[in-house]
Amino acid sequence: MTLPLISLMILIPLVGAIISFLSRTRNQARIAAIIASIIPLIITIKMYLQVDPSTMWVVESYDWIPQLGITYKLGVDGISMPLILLANIVVPLTILFAWGETKRTSSFYGLLLLEQVGVIGVFSSLDFFLFYIFWEITLVPMYFLISIWGGPRKDYAAIKFFIYTHIASLVMLLAIFALYFIAWAQTGYPSFDIVHLLAQYPSFSPVVKDVIFFALLFGFIVKMPAVPFHTWLPDAHVEAPTAGSVVLAAILLKMGGYGLFRVMMPMLPNTTNTSLVITVVAIIGVVSIVYGAFLALAQKDLKKMVAYSSVSHMGFVTLGFASLVPLSVTGAMYQQFSHGLITCILFMSCGVIQHGAHTRIINDLGGLVQKMPKLTFLMLGGFLASLGLPGMSGFIAEFTVLTGSITTLFIYVMIAVFGGVAVTAAYHLWAIQRAMFGVFNEKLGHIHDLAGYEMLSMAILLLLVIFFGVNPDPVWDFMQAGANTLLAGVHII
Amino acid sequence: MFQDFAYLIVLLPIISFVLTLFFGKKFPANGGILAILTIFTAFIISAGTLSEIYHGGVVEQSWHWFAFLDFGILIDPLAAAMLCMVSFVSFLIQVYSVGYMAHDPAKPRYFAETSLFTAAMLGVVLSDNILQFFMFWELVGLCSYLLIGFWYRKPSAAAAAKKAFLVTRVGDVLFLAGIIVLYLNISDFTVPDGAYLLQFQTMFAAIEHIPPSQLTLITLLFFGGAVGKSGQFPLHVWLPDAMEGPTTVSALIHAATMVTAGVYLVARTFPIFLASPDALIVVAYIGGFTALFAATMGLVMNDIKRVLAYSTVSQLGYMMLALGTGIVVGAEVVGMSLFHLISHAFFKALLFLCAGSVIHGLGLQDLRQMGGALGKMKITGITMLIAALALSGIPPTAGFFSKDAIIEGAYSYWTHTGDILPYAFGIIAALLTSIYIFRLWFMTFTGEPRTDYHAHESPPSMTVPLVILAILALGFGLAAHGAFGGFLEHTYSEHLIEEAAEIGGHHLAEEHPHPPPILFYLPIIVGVIGFVISWLIYSKRIFNMSSIISSRNPIYRLLLNRYYQHQIYTEFVAITIVHRVLSLIGEFIDRRIIDGIIDGISWILIMIGEVIRRIQTGVVQHYAAWVVMGVVALMLFLFHGGGIL
Repeated sequence: MTLPLISLMILIPLVGAIISFLSRTRNQARIAAIIASIIPLIITIKMYLQVDPSTMWVVESYDWIPQLGITYKLGVDGISMPLILLANIVVPLTILFAWGETKRTSSFYGLLLLEQVGVIGVFSSLDFFLFYIFWEITLVPMYFLISIWGGPRKDYAAIKFFIYTHIASLVMLLAIFALYFIAWAQTGYPSFDIVHLLAQYPSFSPVVKDVIFFALLFGFIVKMPAVPFHTWLPDAHVEAPTAGSVVLAAILLKMGGYGLFRVMMPMLPNTTNTSLVITVVAIIGVVSIVYGAFLALAQKDLKKMVAYSSVSHMGFVTLGFASLVPLSVTGAMYQQFSHGLITCILFMSCGVIQHGAHTRIINDLGGLVQKMPKLTFLMLGGFLASLGLPGMSGFIAEFTVLTGSITTLFIYVMIAVFGGVAVTAAYHLWAIQRAMFGVFNEKLGHIHDLAGYEMLSMAILLLLVIFFGVNPDPVWDFMQAGANTLLAGVHII
Repeated sequence: MFQDFAYLIVLLPIISFVLTLFFGKKFPANGGILAILTIFTAFIISAGTLSEIYHGGVVEQSWHWFAFLDFGILIDPLAAAMLCMVSFVSFLIQVYSVGYMAHDPAKPRYFAETSLFTAAMLGVVLSDNILQFFMFWELVGLCSYLLIGFWYRKPSAAAAAKKAFLVTRVGDVLFLAGIIVLYLNISDFTVPDGAYLLQFQTMFAAIEHIPPSQLTLITLLFFGGAVGKSGQFPLHVWLPDAMEGPTTVSALIHAATMVTAGVYLVARTFPIFLASPDALIVVAYIGGFTALFAATMGLVMNDIKRVLAYSTVSQLGYMMLALGTGIVVGAEVVGMSLFHLISHAFFKALLFLCAGSVIHGLGLQDLRQMGGALGKMKITGITMLIAALALSGIPPTAGFFSKDAIIEGAYSYWTHTGDILPYAFGIIAALLTSIYIFRLWFMTFTGEPRTDYHAHESPPSMTVPLVILAILALGFGLAAHGAFGGFLEHTYSEHLIEEAAEIGGHHLAEEHPHPPPILFYLPIIVGVIGFVISWLIYSKRIFNMSSIISSRNPIYRLLLNRYYQHQIYTEFVAITIVHRVLSLIGEFIDRRIIDGIIDGISWILIMIGEVIRRIQTGVVQHYAAWVVMGVVALMLFLFHGGGIL
């Protein structure tokens, strides 16, 4: 053990953010940003080769406020490692994509780096207090990204985003405090250690257990988001700048799913009425899949359509979580990773179209392929991945979630397949046909194709989507080990 | 020796796809030569492998993929025959494309996508497990989407591409559900050594552990996928619209690469179909009905390619019908169906390439504007006549042998079950087939030109493939009808078939009665009658058809409007129900109800927040306040000890 690698992954973007904030020129800011965001990726890859995914690999544990049992404890395992990898891929590529940003650039790149700090912290914290601090840190930069660089209704969207998710966080905080205090009362010493608190949970009284469970569940599924707590998402996306949308959809939403696996899954079998809870969660998942898909079909704004597609795709995570079957839980984790990559391409495409055509209303577009062949190529790739085409990462995730869940959740899986899969193909293809193919709408005037840095960023993402669609093993093995460890202690009635 | 390189059968066209897509402009013929070479090599390996397993044995290779899944290759007689056909016909079509697409600026994209199309189909054929099969199957769908929409500037092409993808996707959803239900039933099955779950041989071994009702569910879901891909009723609507792409793409779709995948799926999983009590009866009925239904529309279409499209739908119906009669005839039907599939591939590829040559030479696509082209286009005219004879099943063409066997199977089915309908479907469709295809030929090549056009024969790169295909359409049946069935018999072991039939409760007929002479010659007789009818009407013109071909004739109107499927499927189901009603109800719920509640709650909270805001200004402080309050709570708790809870 030489270097505190996880701490470095958090510290370097933080330093990068400070440098970026203090930069005088755009060039200085963006170079600092890209370097500071890539170093964590290099560290992640190095760690990937060392970590045993089946056990927690604690890098650091220091007492922080010992009187209250608060420690600075970070660690990674098969559950968190792929998501850290995802965050460290997405942030540098987002900065690359936004290389041409002109408005208040030093703050812009700095805020993106702060998001990286926040999510890596969330994905690696093993202390609930620390976890919550990082969880809240992610909110603030996103609020500013929307309210400064956003569209016409940015104030409404930013406030709605902040308050909605913040209320969810507060409910979660109360549940954490409840866990903490009751465990303290039982064991006689204070500790915010996540593993410790989860180990104490089964011995709580039934009502308390259920209240804590649903409070935490609420906190996490608002973030994902799941129907019916999803309405903040389309508004936030519609107004957010492209880079903000990308980070929001690709990594912030994943915190909700991560919470389900890290925190909720060990609790689930110990709730008072587990089968009822599973039914509730499975219904939320399936409704999100089907309802999100139909809502996406109804949208006129391309970006809003993509936002609803996120709701639909994240439904697979909820469904896989509810199944408690290793294959499907692994698939749900894979869906998190895969959706993180795919959705970047979709939001970037929306951003390029908005920038060039000054509208995202699908019916006002048309024939863009003639002016933007490169964009159309990459966008089509992203759309096909998003509709679950085999050979791309989304298919692996959705197929394994569905097959794994069929043994425990037959009817829900069937509804998801028949209600979701065909409609998903329909809204993607219908949108791209009207927006990109056919006759060019001359009213749109002169439109540039992708800039080089935009193309590079999107092409790398598409290659990754195909790579992980053909060869899931590098990430799959990690997740599988993580899921097996999680489910080893789970025994269903 | 060849079988060690079996993976190259798929890999080579994929390499051609990647190279041509990115560097096509730098290659000879803009990638055409590379595409031809790779697919030809794939054909050589396929043919070599076929000769190696001709006297027995199968090729099996697999590599670990992820979770419990492998990637694998299975080449048994069924797959080997199919591989040779797909690679060979694709090869001829690629050769033809070099001439046909000579003036298209997007040639690299064309050759890249057609290479991928062929690769995907070859991947379907040699898959050794159902998931991999499904993956390549979807890739086939993707390529058809890209190629039907090849001229994407035409709104009709973009719409047809989308329609093809979505309609087949409906079938694919059923197929996927079938795989999932299959997994449900075999997930706790102990897999034999060296095999893995979802592999075909594991599936067959597990048949007896699956309840028959589940087998029926699984196979009908699989068949749903086959109905979509193979253009069977009621999911056939995409196929005639798929004409928007280049004619060579139509030839690929209709002969070699796409629509045969559905038939192949049923043949590949035939033992499971046989083990289900009812599935094959559904297959027989859907197939027979589609054969007839599509032929009726073929009678009235005026676009040369549309006639051929309905013809494909109809012929695929025959292949399904053949498989359906398996509950009486047994595993032989796999050979019968595949024999018709291959002979159809030859004469249908030929028909399309001839049509392409006609379109290329005349610059016309509407039959009513053609006429008298034989004088200018001898090779095209004669090869197309051969193809028409083969399609209508007139001896000694390939179509005669293959279709006759199917109708005999249907006869056997009739005598054993007393159910005449599949046989009747087959015979009536055969009559209509003969009428519509000779109508097409006479209207194109005989009489006087009905418009002023300048015809010329196509270049050799186009006519040579025509001649090769014509020789095959003429001679394949004669040469192969004996050996073919015998070779394919080894696909499934007798033991497996007997066991499956027993589970399904079917009694396979020991011997097949020979039909009385009149019935024996009936397929040929109706073929000749059809020819004569067309000759009298469209060449001799001794009947005045104007009272029949008139918008006042309701039957003609029904057929010309294709049974109003567009109105029902697209306008009513897709646009009105799914889009307008369902998704707009969703939008209403989302915006008005769910978001309305949220906005209501937030309004209340904002009112409360106003109070807090007077004490704490700004959001960050708001956040800090909560932390402070939390710490205060902690402190209070500490001072009071743990006694509260």
